[in-house]
Amino acid sequence: MPGKEAGIGMKSNRIENNVMKNNAMKSNVMKHYLDLVPVSAKHHKKQNWMTKLCIVLAVFLITVIFSMADMEMRSQMEQAVRSDGKWHAGFILDEEQGALLAARPEVEKTARYGALNYHLDEGYQIEGIETGICGFDETLLELYPAVEVMEGVFPDEKEGAVINRSAGERLGVEIGDTVMLTTPQGSTVQYRISGIANETALTARYDACVIYINAEAFRKLYEEDNGDAKEMVTFVTFQSFCNIQKAIKEISSQFQLEPEMVRQNVKVLMLMFQSGDSYMIRFYFVAAVLAVLVMVAGVLMITSSMRSSVARRTEFFGMLRCLGATGKQVVRFVRKEALGWCKTAVPAGILAGMVVTWILCGMLRFFSPGLFEGMPVFGISFPGLAAGGAAGLITVLWAAGKPARQAAGVSPLTAVSGNAGTVRAARKAANTRFFKVDTALGMHHAAGSKKTLFLISGSFAFSIILFLSFSTAIDFMHHAINPLKASTPDFFVYSEDNINAIGKGLVERIAAEPCVKRAFGRSCMTLELPGEGAERLLTVISYDEQQFQWAKKDLQEGNYRDALEGKGLLLAFRTDSVYAVGDSLTIPCAGNGLMGDNLLESGCGENDCKVPICGMLGNVPFSYGNKNTGIGEDIAICSEELFERLFGESGYAVIDIQFRSGVTDAQVQEIRRMIEESCGDGMAFSDRRIENRETKGASYSLALFLYGFLVVIALISFFNIMNCIAMSVSARMREYGAMRAVGMTVRQLIKMVWGEAATYTFWGVLFGCLAGLPLNRMLYHSLVTSRWGDAWELPGKELLFILFVMFMSVALAVRGPAGRLRGMTVTDTIGTD
Amino acid sequence: MDILKVENLKKIYGSGEARVEALKGVSFAMRRGEFGAVVGASGSGKSTLLNCIGGLDEPDGGKVLINDKNLFGMGENERTIFRRRNIGFIFQSFHLIPELDVEQNILFPLLLDYRKPDKAQAEEMLEVLGLENRRRHLPGQLSGGQQQRVAIGRALMMKPALVLADEPTGNLDSRSSQDVMDLLCRASEHYQQTVLMITHNMNLTLSADRVFQVTDGMLEEMGNAGKGGGHRDEK
Repeated sequence: MPGKEAGIGMKSNRIENNVMKNNAMKSNVMKHYLDLVPVSAKHHKKQNWMTKLCIVLAVFLITVIFSMADMEMRSQMEQAVRSDGKWHAGFILDEEQGALLAARPEVEKTARYGALNYHLDEGYQIEGIETGICGFDETLLELYPAVEVMEGVFPDEKEGAVINRSAGERLGVEIGDTVMLTTPQGSTVQYRISGIANETALTARYDACVIYINAEAFRKLYEEDNGDAKEMVTFVTFQSFCNIQKAIKEISSQFQLEPEMVRQNVKVLMLMFQSGDSYMIRFYFVAAVLAVLVMVAGVLMITSSMRSSVARRTEFFGMLRCLGATGKQVVRFVRKEALGWCKTAVPAGILAGMVVTWILCGMLRFFSPGLFEGMPVFGISFPGLAAGGAAGLITVLWAAGKPARQAAGVSPLTAVSGNAGTVRAARKAANTRFFKVDTALGMHHAAGSKKTLFLISGSFAFSIILFLSFSTAIDFMHHAINPLKASTPDFFVYSEDNINAIGKGLVERIAAEPCVKRAFGRSCMTLELPGEGAERLLTVISYDEQQFQWAKKDLQEGNYRDALEGKGLLLAFRTDSVYAVGDSLTIPCAGNGLMGDNLLESGCGENDCKVPICGMLGNVPFSYGNKNTGIGEDIAICSEELFERLFGESGYAVIDIQFRSGVTDAQVQEIRRMIEESCGDGMAFSDRRIENRETKGASYSLALFLYGFLVVIALISFFNIMNCIAMSVSARMREYGAMRAVGMTVRQLIKMVWGEAATYTFWGVLFGCLAGLPLNRMLYHSLVTSRWGDAWELPGKELLFILFVMFMSVALAVRGPAGRLRGMTVTDTIGTD
Repeated sequence: MDILKVENLKKIYGSGEARVEALKGVSFAMRRGEFGAVVGASGSGKSTLLNCIGGLDEPDGGKVLINDKNLFGMGENERTIFRRRNIGFIFQSFHLIPELDVEQNILFPLLLDYRKPDKAQAEEMLEVLGLENRRRHLPGQLSGGQQQRVAIGRALMMKPALVLADEPTGNLDSRSSQDVMDLLCRASEHYQQTVLMITHNMNLTLSADRVFQVTDGMLEEMGNAGKGGGHRDEK
């Protein structure tokens, strides 16, 4: 055959005929009419690829969101177990009740626990050091993994005790040594050290000496000293699949326990979806709404692509009918085709979702090694896999059902007449009166089929709805978790008498240590302000330049520079404060550096001076003074130089130390020794490293996952829009070809695609805002307002961001097909199927 | 005056062993008001010839001059606008815009030119086509014959110098085919438009002034089949 006919219109029929011919030739291979499915797929690779991409995106969205949520819950659970323990509930019970409780079938483990001198002020002392006493059954160590016996064993005899490591080092005791505990009643009890326990956040923070003894020894100690039995809490873990709230209720009623005699591990129960707390129930509701939204978004994406994919090939299905295929056979054909897409698209979506989740877990481990050791990098989230797989498969089959029935209903005549595929049944003519014909046609392409318009703009709208809904979780995070401030110390040293006795040279020496990232001090002076009605206390604190820099973002009014330069004070805001920016405080001064000072006015008395308030700070990262005095108290911040001029003291009362990562306990002890040697007794220490690590862990993981959700939603929105427009253009390629043949320029064609994209975007934005903003408000109310009272505000930034993503996506989405249209000849376009 | 001049037109598809010469240096010309019919076996190159003459496809060699303007000396955009104003196309599968009603479809080339349609002109065309009562119908609501009449109206609306028809009756019954042929003849005779039509139906060539046969990418003029007065010497 010497020529190749590039006939217009019949090309698609020819392709399908070729398909049939090819199959006839391969009749020895084809055993069933459904074997045509893969052969046909070869001829529709591009269109099938787009449909598959849509399925991949939807499955990816669902898998990644559910997997991330699952991983985040695992991470939070790890943090919660580390800080609060893995027990589920605690009951204050006597011995007999405890035994009955342990015998209940739903109870897995029980452990008794009691504490004495919890606040280190009751008079239980070892060598003059206030000592906390915790008595419990050994099982508690399993329920509260934060406490670990690092060396030796937990005592099983009444005379044995485990001591926390820092206290052991301070007292110079080792395993096998004995310690004498003095009780407030004056009696002494001897314990033999059987083990050394690690430091917990609490023991480190208060630099506490704690001994852990067994429950029997604890009872004996208290009874011998006080004559009656000390209440002990029985901590419980329940069996898997137990309805914990129901069990707690039953136990409470069985033992007639008042509500204050029952404790619940709220965080752990929440993460197990077992919390009965009303706030948590609201939280679950929000989570359910978000999960449903994600599912609906995925279903919409798949349905719209399936509709367009099947509708595009009406002519082909007509031909099948023409050749004698029954309606049922066409339905089966479409279903088998859909299953074929699932075979590759669903696993691809799941895999992509898993990979993104792995990347996030890897990031968590990379950015805070040590915090997320327990988190698997290549962990598999079964809820994520199940949600993605099931949603993908079920939606594809369901979404294929309707177009399949439509395909089955195609008259064989449509194939023979040659009209199919060229004349789609439009119900209403395009409006060429108000818009130019190209734009009008584009708009009509979008709005012509209400269902398609609903599905595509619905999927656009869901990007906005999802983004606005998930952004409330960010607001929640900002309220619920206080991330570490830049100024938060890892180690905190203060003079117990609040005197400025720490030399600045010491701070410089500490700062020079290689393990120390930063060390800074504060001087402190509390004084009574003279006169002016009610008596007030003022605590003046000095800041160095770095601390002023940190304080800058808390500045509510005035300017911090004047304070930094020693021209005045910054006052910490208090609701009961009587001072305002611009006022001057009359401070009784002890310093002698004020002679000839032009900045500060002389006051009423000989040694008084008036210092202006040059700014107001929203808050300061510490509290001073006794809050229960009933006397008005203010905190003022000044420069170190001004402090020295005012009070004549140049030492610090407090040192904050921030360590570099990887600092060892030995290095911290070394610094502690350095301080003790330099300052002698009277210094108190607070090691906040464990506490900081826990706070950092919780906030890091939540922030990473929540922002991760938003990024995924924005990405999905981007890809979905790109794919929708590309599919729509691809489906109309023949029509575009006909338009070009009768004189439409490529520019006009692109305007038409713009018109279509703009229509989807307009309705998408409208639906998205109409549904997304009230939903955002409702979720915000449930998550934030109900707990912290903050009123809802229009999420302007979030809305602008997602709209920007959408508009950029639309602009890029039109560029692709525009380039394709430019590069194709009219005959190519018109012959495209 | 020659409205259409085709000089040494070549079109090659594929390369290497798959190389097929669809047009092998075709040359001919047509005058104003002539009605030409192109016949040939399937795959002989008829549609390729028509597509190249209409500027839908780019030839690999040769020239197509319409009103002395070289179609392929123009840029893509210029060629499209030239085609819109000077060439009317009629396809076997009609290729109407499903979202536009009958009147809008007929006026479509005018609308693409962003020109305000002349109501009287549209009225006249609808009357000629016998579609006055169907002006608000969408293509999906019309029979095949009616759809083809709309396509002819669209092709003639800009009063083009050249009308190209690719098997315009291929999808129609005999009565509708006759209607379509009558319309094309009227266009040729009354409006002095040059018509070039591909057909498989030898009976339809009876209405043509000149008949061309395409065989293996070569064009040969067969002379007039029915009307007489062909231009054989112009091959």
